[in-house]
Amino acid sequence: MKKRLYLELENCIGCRSCLAACTQCGGHEERNRNYVYDVNPLVNRQTMPLMCLHCVNPACARSCPAQAIQIHETGAVLSALVEKCIGCQNCTIACPYGIPKFDTEQNLMYKCDLCIDRTKDGIPPMCASVCPSNTLQWLTDEEIEAKQKQFNLDNGKWVTSMPYLEGETNVRVNLPGILQGVTKLF
Amino acid sequence: MQRDKFFKEIENVRHPNETLVKTHCSYCGMQCGMNLRVNTKTNKIIGVEPRYDWPVTVGKMCPKGVTAYQQTNHDDRILKPLIRDDASLKGTKEGFREATWDEAYSLIAKKFGELQNKYGKDTLSVFSGVSMTNEKCYLTGKFARVAMQTRYIDYNGRFCMSSAAGGFLRSFGVDRGSTLPWTDLHETDCLFIAGSNTAECHPTSMFRVWAVQERGGYLIVADPRETPIARRADVHLDLRPGTDLALANGILNLLIQNGYADAEFVTNHTNGFEETKELVKEFTPEYTSEITGVAPEKIIRAAEIYGKAPNAVVMFARGIEQQHKGVDNVSAYTNMALVTGKIGRPKSGVATFTGQGNGQGGREHGQKSDLLPGYRKITNPKHVEEVCQVWGITPEEMPQPGVSAYEMFELMEQKTIRAMYLLCSNPAVSAPNLNFVRKAMKGLDFMVCADFYLSESAEFADVILPTVTWSEDEGTVTNLEGRIIKINKAQEPLGESKPDWQIQAELAEYLGRGKYFSHLKTARDVADEFRLASKGGYADYYGATWDKIDKQDGVFWPCKDEEDKGTPHMFLDKKFYHPDGKAKICALPYRPPAEEPDEDYPLRLTTGRVVYHYLSGNQTRRIQFLRDMCPEPYVEVHPETAAKYNIEHEEFVRLFTRRGEAEYKVKITEAIRKDTVFVPYHFGHDKSINLLTIAALDPMSRMPEFKACAAQIEKLELKKVQ
Ligand code: SF4
Ligand code: SF4
Ligand code: SF4
Ligand code: SF4
Repeated sequence: MKKRLYLELENCIGCRSCLAACTQCGGHEERNRNYVYDVNPLVNRQTMPLMCLHCVNPACARSCPAQAIQIHETGAVLSALVEKCIGCQNCTIACPYGIPKFDTEQNLMYKCDLCIDRTKDGIPPMCASVCPSNTLQWLTDEEIEAKQKQFNLDNGKWVTSMPYLEGETNVRVNLPGILQGVTKLF
Repeated sequence: MQRDKFFKEIENVRHPNETLVKTHCSYCGMQCGMNLRVNTKTNKIIGVEPRYDWPVTVGKMCPKGVTAYQQTNHDDRILKPLIRDDASLKGTKEGFREATWDEAYSLIAKKFGELQNKYGKDTLSVFSGVSMTNEKCYLTGKFARVAMQTRYIDYNGRFCMSSAAGGFLRSFGVDRGSTLPWTDLHETDCLFIAGSNTAECHPTSMFRVWAVQERGGYLIVADPRETPIARRADVHLDLRPGTDLALANGILNLLIQNGYADAEFVTNHTNGFEETKELVKEFTPEYTSEITGVAPEKIIRAAEIYGKAPNAVVMFARGIEQQHKGVDNVSAYTNMALVTGKIGRPKSGVATFTGQGNGQGGREHGQKSDLLPGYRKITNPKHVEEVCQVWGITPEEMPQPGVSAYEMFELMEQKTIRAMYLLCSNPAVSAPNLNFVRKAMKGLDFMVCADFYLSESAEFADVILPTVTWSEDEGTVTNLEGRIIKINKAQEPLGESKPDWQIQAELAEYLGRGKYFSHLKTARDVADEFRLASKGGYADYYGATWDKIDKQDGVFWPCKDEEDKGTPHMFLDKKFYHPDGKAKICALPYRPPAEEPDEDYPLRLTTGRVVYHYLSGNQTRRIQFLRDMCPEPYVEVHPETAAKYNIEHEEFVRLFTRRGEAEYKVKITEAIRKDTVFVPYHFGHDKSINLLTIAALDPMSRMPEFKACAAQIEKLELKKVQ
């Protein structure tokens, strides 16, 4: 059963366990490929993760003159192939969310590969495995659909979708404010 | 057992030449399940893999847990016993030389012997901790009384769980940190959480907390700061530090006035209602608001939600417990559940978020100055008799009760105590009023420290004994639910390090008390003796065998025999542990914090944790990822307060109280009260906020008031950050 990374941004507690976990995935050379932002640090403690959304038609890969960024059959947009990446950094500029990171020493781009050595076998990515708040989850399409029904927001735009995003993404994102739609028990 | 909607069958990733060792995190009371990855060629721990099949945390870990494995083969590990001959270097890292275990043990035995000959048996002391297995905690209690033969033993739970223990004992007659399993939490209708920065201190509870709100349930949070959990609360009771007792009384009053008391439950299963009802009458929303600074509407709304909720759980943590009325705060919040009858059934109850990994088990089995294994009392001759039979000593040989952790430092200062054996704790950072405590440690005639890193406290030692990390030994711990779980060994001890139980058994031999310890050759030997010693006590672990723990995903105490499956839910039969079977609703008059703000010290200082560090930071400050995330302490100040002092974000200030001072970088945030400043306590030397905190002790639990004292800020003109 195909599963996807699903983000519920309202849940984030800023623990950055997802960053720590990303360093632990095989082939990650102990460097994390994700980000967590303080949304408004002088005001409150809201935080949110910034993850590669694994675009269906990824700008990063399109911008790469060397075809170093491959798309896995699962839809995961992989990290640059070491032997192909020429270090031009086009991808870091092309990605609308600034996801690809650049290692200046190795002259090599690296990015989230959706923990491909796990997700290719249906095992959840490290970040979604550990996330203590369920901001990051690894769900089937049916489970995501159930979420969509559960959080029926006023404006009908419960997930980031056009026009918020550049295009269709494999990762599904649930914006802050989901609780608005919840009916209270009493 | 207790597999819920969050549980999913997931295979783990298995890399070639690796095995996975099932265990739990080394740090907080959540005791998240984890697998340690062990390289089968080098037999060394090399990483972590989620433990999806652990029913409480289903693979989740906070960043401390994810990086915990990095402690084991860390460069800072102490690999051999260390001796310092030059006592003038005490209080520094300097002057230690490597020694053999024999030399170290011989020196300790010689010094302990000399001091005891000169000043009496009780001149020695043991200061312990509960971030270690039940087996180690148990043996440390026996080691102090049987091998060192001193009355003075106490432990860092006095700075952590002792108020919760005292409050539960008074209210329920039993001290089990949670009356229900964590797997119930997401199914309740209202969580009332006081003084717990849950998202940072017990992060893996959070998916259950949010799930309550997702279902349409309510979250009420009482905290002086808008912590990440308070940010999303339905009601945030933003009270002044140290005023919890008024808030709890105010809410109780509203619950009673508005008809939410469960008359039948109150009559049949509790005492003390009428008296309490009278006492809390005074705490109208307006009066409560005056004391706490919380708007009356919020207090009214919180009481209404808790009162209406079909099921509700009252939870709290160090925020309410680390006060000089911590025990009263615990009983006062517990009153809410007792008056409304929301206890003794699934999905309702009372729980404290246990701080240390084994904060629950470690306090039950005899490390506390007045306790013996199984929560027995050292002042009860029958209890003493029972334990003496297991230990093989006569009741006359059992030392008297000692004094609490902080009071031991007072006795050191007075030279009543002249030597200390310190393990599993770092009081040179974690004790209050540190100028005094550090001086007392420095003044000791002789000090031994057993640790795996050279902590700030080890800097005061004459002898350092290298212990193992949690991953190089096995045994049980009791998590914050009261569930006894198994820690497994993933690697052989690094260098010459040894587990504490082995060190104590060997040292007992040098102290001439070997016959009481020589049969303890493995952790399992200690476990067997410990289960026997707890048998018949009300924290009865006799039936919690390692096999059963493995089969059942843990065993909730009490568990009396081999057939007993344990007790996930307490009080289902509505029987409490007081002799008449009833719980006690407590009438508790309000007392302000020991030190209230005044003209010279107009601010309220409160302290706490950040998600990246654990306790004194001796472990987590050495882990690169965690250090990068939070390298130094800071003081949180509200922008309006900052403006008054003319200070800006990231400027340096001198923060001071009547007891001490320190310099901190300012972090401006609106997520704190204007009258309050906050500093995390994980840092050593001149960065320790405990240089400033007050040692006002709770009369029952002897818990210092870490959470509230009066402070002042002064801007430092020159030290601007680039
Ligand atoms: S692990 Fe989850 S809660 Fe923690 S920072 Fe990452 S997304 Fe947020
Ligand atoms: S989010 Fe950025 S890095 Fe990820 S696939 Fe899309 S364009 Fe590429
Ligand atoms: S999916 Fe894997 S690679 Fe991508 S951010 Fe998460 S842990 Fe890192
Ligand atoms: S520190 Fe606590 S919450 Fe974090 S992983 Fe360890 S046990 Fe879990």
